[in-house]
Amino acid sequence: MQEQVNDQAKQFDPFEPFRGMRDAYLESISKTMIETVNSEGYAQATGAMLDYFLTASAPFREATEKAMAQTLQQLSLPSRQDVAALAERFTQVELSLDDLDAKVDRILQVLAAAKPAQAKERKPARKRTATKRT
Amino acid sequence: MNTSAPMTEQALAFNKRVRSYLRVLSTKAPIAQTPKDVVWSLNKAKLYRYVPQVPAERRYPVPLLLVFAIMNRPYILDLRPGHSFVEFMVRSGFDVYLLDWGRPGLEDRATKLDDYAIDYLPRAIRKMKEISGQQEFSMLGWCIGALLTTIYAALRPEDGLRNLLLLTAPLDFSNRGHITFARWTDERYFDVDKVLAAFGNMPGEMIDYGARALRPVDNYITNYCKLWDNLENPRAVEAWHAMNTWVTDNIPMAGAAYRQLIVELYRKNALIQNQLRVRDELVDLSRIHANLLTVIAAGDHITPPCQSEAIHAKVSSTDKESYHIPGGHIGIMAGSSAHRTTWPHIQEWLSTRSH
Repeated sequence: MQEQVNDQAKQFDPFEPFRGMRDAYLESISKTMIETVNSEGYAQATGAMLDYFLTASAPFREATEKAMAQTLQQLSLPSRQDVAALAERFTQVELSLDDLDAKVDRILQVLAAAKPAQAKERKPARKRTATKRT
Repeated sequence: MNTSAPMTEQALAFNKRVRSYLRVLSTKAPIAQTPKDVVWSLNKAKLYRYVPQVPAERRYPVPLLLVFAIMNRPYILDLRPGHSFVEFMVRSGFDVYLLDWGRPGLEDRATKLDDYAIDYLPRAIRKMKEISGQQEFSMLGWCIGALLTTIYAALRPEDGLRNLLLLTAPLDFSNRGHITFARWTDERYFDVDKVLAAFGNMPGEMIDYGARALRPVDNYITNYCKLWDNLENPRAVEAWHAMNTWVTDNIPMAGAAYRQLIVELYRKNALIQNQLRVRDELVDLSRIHANLLTVIAAGDHITPPCQSEAIHAKVSSTDKESYHIPGGHIGIMAGSSAHRTTWPHIQEWLSTRSH
């Protein structure tokens, strides 16, 4: 008897009786909405809303950026643009390092081909790869 | 007879149900659990090598590189233990690598598709070749990842690409009536430069809204009703939780790459007409001669089948197959039946071409 009560309680969902009705309603409205978002009217309306938002927010955004840049400059702190520029330079350095890595690999391959006996004893190129287990 | 006891039980059970629901919605599921090593990195990009689970003598020699989209997390390929494409392939004996593009920052706003296809991808491939000791490799691209791998395959046909797998690949934008994104991003309605001037990169939230708005009721209402209905099914909850973790983990798309995608592809349809130029090189699809498998999802509303079908007529590959499967853009690889349909087909196709 207790098990039966527990089972009933476990299964209890006050929305259960409405599930069929809900699913039928959602299915019908889903089809309508898919047709709506696929229409030219929807594309035009969302485009216009986005354009309005961007146009309206532009002066505030620009004013905030300007004020922030001035504040950071007065505090001798780097701005977002400064950090981004630095990060770009880091990427260039990484690219150069990767080019060097490729050149070293090619040299090792040439050496390995020229001296197969020695190359056997040489540490394989793949061991140079730094790995980090995640 | 005490009738209040069952009512109390019911109230407690309902309370428990609500708490379970909120817990799933407010937490992240453990994802991407297959053991892996970071073997290469450049800027935010990382190349992972999954730890082999099959002895070397039983492994396929040709390594497999997985390339996912640049505006989503790639761990959809390794969603959760027991339901992971990566895990499935590693256990099948493949040497699997995954390229994670990372999350672009403001400093990456000028990064173009050119950079991804010509700078990042070849470098990651070089490292993969070095580690595997193989000159030939297979590459699987999914969504925008398929677009990038196609560009790479056309520009670098002599790099050793033996097998090319394209999943739900947005390559042909000619049938605009069937592509909702093409309508939304039409130049009459959508000013891409204005958006990028405001944000630098395309915000992940806007990309997410775009994907969800294609089926608004399903994504904003029905999906959450399904979770409520299945709360007493731990397996269903686990699957929902993992998928929701991935869906809500949005990343922005590099501004210049987004602009290229909209202008050069959605509007001009340059790639399939062999008119796309990448770093001043013409992307000629006829230069692709790798074995080709395209996987097309019949119910894909993000990349409708018409976008992936034309590639077969453009490439020079002699070994090519088009695999149509019921399901959606993500469902064909991460859905509940993927391990019975898509994964075994890919595994079988690849296994005969990886010796």
